[in-house]
Amino acid sequence: MNYKVIGKRVKRVEDPRLLTGKALFVGDVDLPDMLHAAFVRSDYAHARIKSVDTSAAKEIPGVVGVYTAEDMGDDWEPGPPLVIPPPTLEDVEFHSQRQVPLVKDKVKHAGEIIAVVVAESRYIAEDAVEEVYVDYEPLPAVTDLEKCLEPGHTLVHDDLESNLAAHLIQNKGDYEAAKKEADLVIKRKFHLDRGAAGAMENRGLVVDWDDKNQHLMVWDATQSPIPIRNGMADRLGLRTHQVRVVAPFVGGGFGPKIMMFYAEEMVLPWLTMKLKRPVKWIEDRKENFYATTQEREQIQEVEMALSKEGKILGIKQSIIHDTGAYDPYGLTIPLNTQSHSMGSYDIKNYTSELTVVFTNKIITTPVRGAGRPQGIYIVERMLDIACRELGLDPLETRRQNFIQPDQFPYDHEIIDQAFTNLVFDSGNYLPAYDKAVEAIGYEEFVKVEQPKLRAEGKYVGIGLVPFVETTGVGPYEGARVAVEPSGKISAATGVGTQGQSHMTSFAQIIAEQLGVEVEDVSLVSGDTAEIHWGTGTFASRGAVVAGNAVNAAALDVRQKVLALASKILETPQEELELEGGQVRVADIPEKSISLGELAILANPFRGAVEPGTEPGLESTKYFGPAYGATAFGVHGMILEVDPETMMIKILKYITVEDCGTMLNPLVVEGQIHGGVSMGIGNSYYEKLHYDENGQLLNASLADYLIPTATEMPYIEVHHENTPAPNNKLGTKGVGEAGAIPVPAAFAQALENALEEFGLEITETPLSPNRLYELLYRREE
Amino acid sequence: MKVNGEHLFSGTQQQVWDLFRDTEVMAAALPGTKKMELVGENTYEAVMHVRVGPVAGEFSGQLVISNEDHPNSYTMTVEGRGKPGFMKGTGDVTLTAEGENQTLMGYAGEVQIGGRLAAVGQRLIDTVAKSIISQAFEVLDQVLAERVSAEQAGREAVYKESSQSDYVSAVAKDVIKNILKRPGKEESEK
Repeated sequence: MNYKVIGKRVKRVEDPRLLTGKALFVGDVDLPDMLHAAFVRSDYAHARIKSVDTSAAKEIPGVVGVYTAEDMGDDWEPGPPLVIPPPTLEDVEFHSQRQVPLVKDKVKHAGEIIAVVVAESRYIAEDAVEEVYVDYEPLPAVTDLEKCLEPGHTLVHDDLESNLAAHLIQNKGDYEAAKKEADLVIKRKFHLDRGAAGAMENRGLVVDWDDKNQHLMVWDATQSPIPIRNGMADRLGLRTHQVRVVAPFVGGGFGPKIMMFYAEEMVLPWLTMKLKRPVKWIEDRKENFYATTQEREQIQEVEMALSKEGKILGIKQSIIHDTGAYDPYGLTIPLNTQSHSMGSYDIKNYTSELTVVFTNKIITTPVRGAGRPQGIYIVERMLDIACRELGLDPLETRRQNFIQPDQFPYDHEIIDQAFTNLVFDSGNYLPAYDKAVEAIGYEEFVKVEQPKLRAEGKYVGIGLVPFVETTGVGPYEGARVAVEPSGKISAATGVGTQGQSHMTSFAQIIAEQLGVEVEDVSLVSGDTAEIHWGTGTFASRGAVVAGNAVNAAALDVRQKVLALASKILETPQEELELEGGQVRVADIPEKSISLGELAILANPFRGAVEPGTEPGLESTKYFGPAYGATAFGVHGMILEVDPETMMIKILKYITVEDCGTMLNPLVVEGQIHGGVSMGIGNSYYEKLHYDENGQLLNASLADYLIPTATEMPYIEVHHENTPAPNNKLGTKGVGEAGAIPVPAAFAQALENALEEFGLEITETPLSPNRLYELLYRREE
Repeated sequence: MKVNGEHLFSGTQQQVWDLFRDTEVMAAALPGTKKMELVGENTYEAVMHVRVGPVAGEFSGQLVISNEDHPNSYTMTVEGRGKPGFMKGTGDVTLTAEGENQTLMGYAGEVQIGGRLAAVGQRLIDTVAKSIISQAFEVLDQVLAERVSAEQAGREAVYKESSQSDYVSAVAKDVIKNILKRPGKEESEK
């Protein structure tokens, strides 16, 4: 398709507002008479609450109220389960445990909320929090993923028989038969640990109940304003039109901001309706470590069967996945792990047992990558180990295992996170891989540079990892596009923005279809007053699902424009073109009418709108794909390890990305840069350390290290384009891609750099300390 | 967190035992102790001000002595809570006579910490705990020396109280010592 605006490197239209501090964030919302909330959070990971004494806190001047679960009375109700278990799978065991607004009897993770203080200022509220006395009976904490299933172990949930949250087995082909044919069977155990999403803006809420108008106004730093509106109305016994939720500019989502409902999202609306005053709460950084969901903790045992030529015959996997204290997000993460455990490879036999456990730790829900990095990590690690054992070239081995272009759509015969069949819609892996081999300078490095640097005593290594990313899953998104009498375009979608450039790339789609400038399109994303239906921003699906809804609505408006203009200009539609905000006759450009004039004519003040037509040049359309669009790519890096300090320096970083049609390459590259930075954190810096009592030991940015500019390499981004066959634009998602293969590539490069030590890496995140230990233990 | 070590006192086993079972002495020796009183048999209530890096505040709690084997050993259980979090620990203390006038005190125990103290203070808690202990020994050594010499001279013992600033400078010294120390093989990640 030859586009004029789509696919161009248009600078982000939202940037001037963001960069000059003129964009609205929840923290900016300041209402007259507004109160401030602060929360009493448990220091214990597991403890029974004997009593809560709020009397001293209530006496502090400026405190309006202090409330516990008891004070909520009949309004106390756990949050709704967000993602229900898959009904399409047989023999699934799933125990739903829902997070609560305020803890009633037993604390199940450190940071869980026991009481809320409302005061005239946040300062007063925080001071009062310190005066609330909670009498706890500490209980042993459940923290070990393997031991927690032993009989007689302490229970997180007393109403369950064990700490098992879910269990299922997925099968494809016949692994045991494949194993018998194999020349090599390798078995390894992997530890994948937790990290934080670490968005720059923490969560926050401002709620305002207007009693006269019987209307609740909510500003929420959420990725999911429409379901929040629906859920709040339901919880409060209101109609949906009585609640308006605005997710204004949000400073980073990365997944945890789609968790619903957080305790604060249950407590604050209740408070404003009770007190009939606006209430504000902005999560501080310390709270963020305890109150916002995390990800990636799994222990996996993996077996891979191969022929001596390196053909993967099958994979057997056992995953223990930590859901934390509750499981509102169902099985999304571990199902994603399964979906990516065969990577980009044609593997006929796969069997995977999934065990999800409850622990006294913070809830896990998707964080950028959402289970995918774990899958790619194990399959790529296993391949590296197998290549070493078989003495095979890792590049050739990967090439011969790739799913071939003529095998698409490739049905994996297992269920994905959307509970539909895992089908890779399209792909062409070899050209992307070869491009990456070329871009990283593989041959030159391995044959010339590395031997030279090694001779100089330097520890340099190379890593090159292909990956897939299932993106753009359903259920659906919608968009409304309208031509204003001014000739400018208004548009809305329910997919809120947390930095994804929706206001630019969706505007490009509309500009393309309606022949206007990108600047003439004003897009609202994340305001329930503007669009009624939608789900939210997640699963790398904005460009696919919302993008195609925007495209469909814009095309429908284009049709309406052409129909009306054809009548007025007395010219057949085929001879008309939309250009520069005008509809004109292609051969006679001076014979034209502006979009604004057409919009006025389409909404007459007198006369009659023709039967069967609608007023205005407006359309609302929805898009829901049957299954996702599979993006893919390759990441390559060359790094150097300082053998004294174990600090690493990434000397070169390249990526090849194929996300189908790019709406805006600048935006795609920005997503890759951000993703790689997160991936580097997941590889070598960002690990949340819990002790055996469920205490988080590095809950501050002084101890929890997020990569900064000094750790970031220059990232070279190359593109390939295999359009998605099942959506009109041909788009695939790219929001999470950057983060997915990094830990696998990082481990490969580290092993390569430290080849002489014979190091084998089976865990992530690492750190300089941890690498030091791994090397020392081997020496002993 | 594991806490263990030993210290050689210049005094008889009985003198050291008495020293340890003297509430006032212990209160003076532990930096930041604001209150320590006997509330029941072998049960003390204490209030202590603790500063660990950016985390500071008052802890109040109970100290229980059990398994007493006079004058050889006892078990100490501490449970404290405060705005900065909580701590809970158990330790075994043993006294062994070394020659005529010396006593080796050994201690081994485990401490759990939680809340802000764990989240933010983790990096420093080890050093701070060691500082508290070494400072306590310094004070106890002085007290013991004074007691022994007062006993010999047949006079009343006079004690000098340790100040908060002594403690702060001791912690600072230990932190720097730790930073300068090269990581050894025995150190493992938590």
